[in-house]
Amino acid sequence: MVDTDAFGKLELELRRGVVVVATLSQLRTQRYGYELRQALADKGMPIEEGTLYPLLRRLETQGLLKSEWKLEAGSQRRYYSLNADGRKLLKKLTESWQGMNNAMDRLLKED
Amino acid sequence: MNANDVIESYVNDVAVQLPRKQRNDVAFELRLLLKEGLQDRAEAAGRSVDAAMAIEFLQAFGRPEEVAARYRPALTIIDPADGYGFLRMTGIGLAIIWCLGLLLRLRQPIDSAGDLLGMLGQWWGGTVIPSLWWPGVLVTGFAAAAWARRRWPQTYAWKPRAGDRIIGGRTAMVMGLIGILCGVFLIADPRWILDFFWNGRAAPAAYAALTYADGFVHRQAFCLLALITLNIPLLIVVIVQGRWSPAMRRVETGLSLATCAAMTWTVLDGPVFMASSSDRTVKFFMVLIVAVTLINLGIKLYRNVRPTPEQPAPVNSI
Repeated sequence: MVDTDAFGKLELELRRGVVVVATLSQLRTQRYGYELRQALADKGMPIEEGTLYPLLRRLETQGLLKSEWKLEAGSQRRYYSLNADGRKLLKKLTESWQGMNNAMDRLLKED
Repeated sequence: MNANDVIESYVNDVAVQLPRKQRNDVAFELRLLLKEGLQDRAEAAGRSVDAAMAIEFLQAFGRPEEVAARYRPALTIIDPADGYGFLRMTGIGLAIIWCLGLLLRLRQPIDSAGDLLGMLGQWWGGTVIPSLWWPGVLVTGFAAAAWARRRWPQTYAWKPRAGDRIIGGRTAMVMGLIGILCGVFLIADPRWILDFFWNGRAAPAAYAALTYADGFVHRQAFCLLALITLNIPLLIVVIVQGRWSPAMRRVETGLSLATCAAMTWTVLDGPVFMASSSDRTVKFFMVLIVAVTLINLGIKLYRNVRPTPEQPAPVNSI
């Protein structure tokens, strides 16, 4: 039971670290919240709605996303995409992530 | 209540906690996203949307307070690193206040169970509830410290501290020395202060108020005077050396404990002054000095670290 609890908490911390990068990566094209969640889930990174939707607003407030209301299929939807600063940040985070990923590969490789 | 009503209620509970200029726009978007998500879930389950399904869906979404908090940058009042320190100081402070309050109440006569319950009621209303000012002060202090650390990180960066340093430097020690000399004069004859300020023309009642009781003069006065006088060579050595050596620290601790014992004896034994009001005042300050000294020694003991490897627990052989 202790092992399961520890795994759950540590896995949550791992996921917390990559949620922002994953979200930014899928906003190179314009998407609205539910569509973004589906795109992330389809690629193996499901993120809870209660986490994802507020995150979009926070990233927008931080000046990394631009958004606009659009009428699609008879329904109003708020679409988000990266702005210039968001694209620069994603590039840096991607390089950082790839560096860490390579390091982790080496660390976790069994001799 | 149908599914739409459930979602409206939830969206309202989230939005009301957001800044006014943001809440309507977020509420509009959140409502659309929740309805779409719920519809998708109902289709996946092969059933129509109903209130029970909406409640289950929204409970998984998160408590409105948590969701609303995620829309804004995290707000930290007390740094997580200070959490245990805050709890420790809260617990110790409240324990001291409650114990002192209880001791003061126990001085009144308790002849029956009713008296005891009455005393406990007074303690609860007069000490325990008002003591909540202490956690309030700590929250304010810790929050201000956290803000200052974020505002001026270089100023509050960790710096090495020499264990033998003099807090306040030599200036503080000289001031302490002057204070002790004044204290020695005062203990030798407290009426000296009247002569000093009023040049011998103070009212006779003032002289009477500062006249020692015979019992104190014959029992504790010399002992107290000697202990306080012993601090003078100690401070002079520290001022000359410019640091506290371990031996000087041990002497200081011994002197402090001996002075506390002598003051406790004085408080418990009998009157210090002939006049009761002067006696109460001086005893109050003696209790205060003993309390502060013991708390200070306790803190030093608590902060004492002696790096030592932990011994493994013995293995019982069968």
